[in-house]
Amino acid sequence: MGVSAGISEESGHAGDMPDDGPSSETANYKSVFDIIGPVMIGPSSSHTAGVVAIGRVVHEVFRGTPTKIVVDYYESFASTHQGHGTDFAIIGGILGFATDDRRIKNSIEIAKQRGIDLTFVEQEGKSPVGHPNTAVVNISDGEKSVSVVGVSIGGGVAQIKRIVMDGFDVTPRGPLPMLLLRGSAADNERLGSKLQGVSLIGDVRSFGKEGTDERIYEYDLDAPLPPNTVEELRKANDRLFYLR
Amino acid sequence: MYSKVAELVEDAERQGLPIHELMIRQEMAYSHESREEIWEKMGRNLDVMHQAVERGAAGEGVHSTTGLTGGDAVKLRKYREHGKTLSGDTMMMAVQNAMACNEVNAAMGVICATPTAGSSGTIPGILFTLTERLGLDRDQQIRFLFTAGAFGLIIANNAGIAGATGGCQAEVGSASAMGAAAAVEAAGGTPSQSAQAMAMAISNLLGLICDPVAGLVELPCVKRNAIGAGNGLIAADMALAGIVSKIPPDEVIGAMDAVGKSLPSKFRETGLGGLADTPTGRRLRASIFPNQKDPSAFRKTGA
Repeated sequence: MGVSAGISEESGHAGDMPDDGPSSETANYKSVFDIIGPVMIGPSSSHTAGVVAIGRVVHEVFRGTPTKIVVDYYESFASTHQGHGTDFAIIGGILGFATDDRRIKNSIEIAKQRGIDLTFVEQEGKSPVGHPNTAVVNISDGEKSVSVVGVSIGGGVAQIKRIVMDGFDVTPRGPLPMLLLRGSAADNERLGSKLQGVSLIGDVRSFGKEGTDERIYEYDLDAPLPPNTVEELRKANDRLFYLR
Repeated sequence: MYSKVAELVEDAERQGLPIHELMIRQEMAYSHESREEIWEKMGRNLDVMHQAVERGAAGEGVHSTTGLTGGDAVKLRKYREHGKTLSGDTMMMAVQNAMACNEVNAAMGVICATPTAGSSGTIPGILFTLTERLGLDRDQQIRFLFTAGAFGLIIANNAGIAGATGGCQAEVGSASAMGAAAAVEAAGGTPSQSAQAMAMAISNLLGLICDPVAGLVELPCVKRNAIGAGNGLIAADMALAGIVSKIPPDEVIGAMDAVGKSLPSKFRETGLGGLADTPTGRRLRASIFPNQKDPSAFRKTGA
């Protein structure tokens, strides 16, 4: 589906969306390397590699050094994060480390050295987004705070279900990679024209907030963008977030 | 992108192309990377699998920090050296390879998730056994992984591969099915026979629960990979003999999805049911996590 497709003004939850069409368009797993891979440190791809991916999304949308990180675990994560390395995996991701980065194992110590206050909470209730491997990350630096709800769906693959930032409540469809743009309708048009030829899944959706014309636009990408494209897009607009 | 096994098999047979070739073409279209780049990436994954299988069975083997697992692949290696195995050396080699790889995983070593870390021994278990049995060269081993991945993508998108959502059938069951399908191709079978092997491998592990003791990917995960590899070879041999699954492959995947959705959460990677909920399983949990006396008592911890 092309970028020129209509923009839906969406403020509800992703779960309210009509069916996105045939399964090939909503596939959670797109690359053979989602299945044969990733190369990682054991013992659980859901509890480590998938969680690093959630952490890396937090890193991308927060952009800065936090003073405080609170991670709420639900269901399977709540009962089994211990011993799986889930804690250092999510903090490693938040610090911007890749899945196979050797620093991941020491991420808790690295975060503490940077003066970041860490709390892990095993929540008793059901996942707020209906998935047994759910982590909710609340991150702040005293001035700004961001909340990200991610789920680890198996094999090291993650989905992002909700992002609350600066008064915006974004509930994306979930699968990565995706682009989020904060800006005006004109900013969005400029991005759309730059993305001509890039294959998207479903329509571009957007999320607004009271008292501003600005919105956060969600582009669900069919495939990862080449690194130089991402760099160019970021140069053109520093409020563009590439989640992958 | 192939969303059904039937489409994949039909395309392979109509175009006269092996499944690994269709997978490589799909990956090139998806990632915009060259054939060489994709091939090399898969080669690196193959190397990691090979290293894990070797490491787990070498010397005294590897042991996890909890002491729950380790050293069993070495026992199998020594047992095989005596040459009197009941099910034959090929089968025991597969079991050794699978357990070796998963012991490395449990010991927080480097592995390649296929499709997950918990099930990462099953496919190497099958692959490196066929490497010896059929004399597969490196290129053939890489093709094996693309074929396994093609079936795995369809299973993952139609049913899932996480123990937390589908139980162990979704992890070791999926890996076993992927390995069975790829084994058929490596042995010269048809795409349709690959699909039948996949269907029979899943059918034979349908309903398998995920019940890790203390919530750790150790007991019974390491041994479950043994049955995953063995079952994969059995299903592949059955398909090569011309046996078919009376239930079509895509319907079998649908059944796995439905079974997974009906499993109570205690059987989906919470460490609260099955072997984890035996007196010994509970005792092991208490000794590994002394601060977590009651698994249902959640608490708040600072790091």
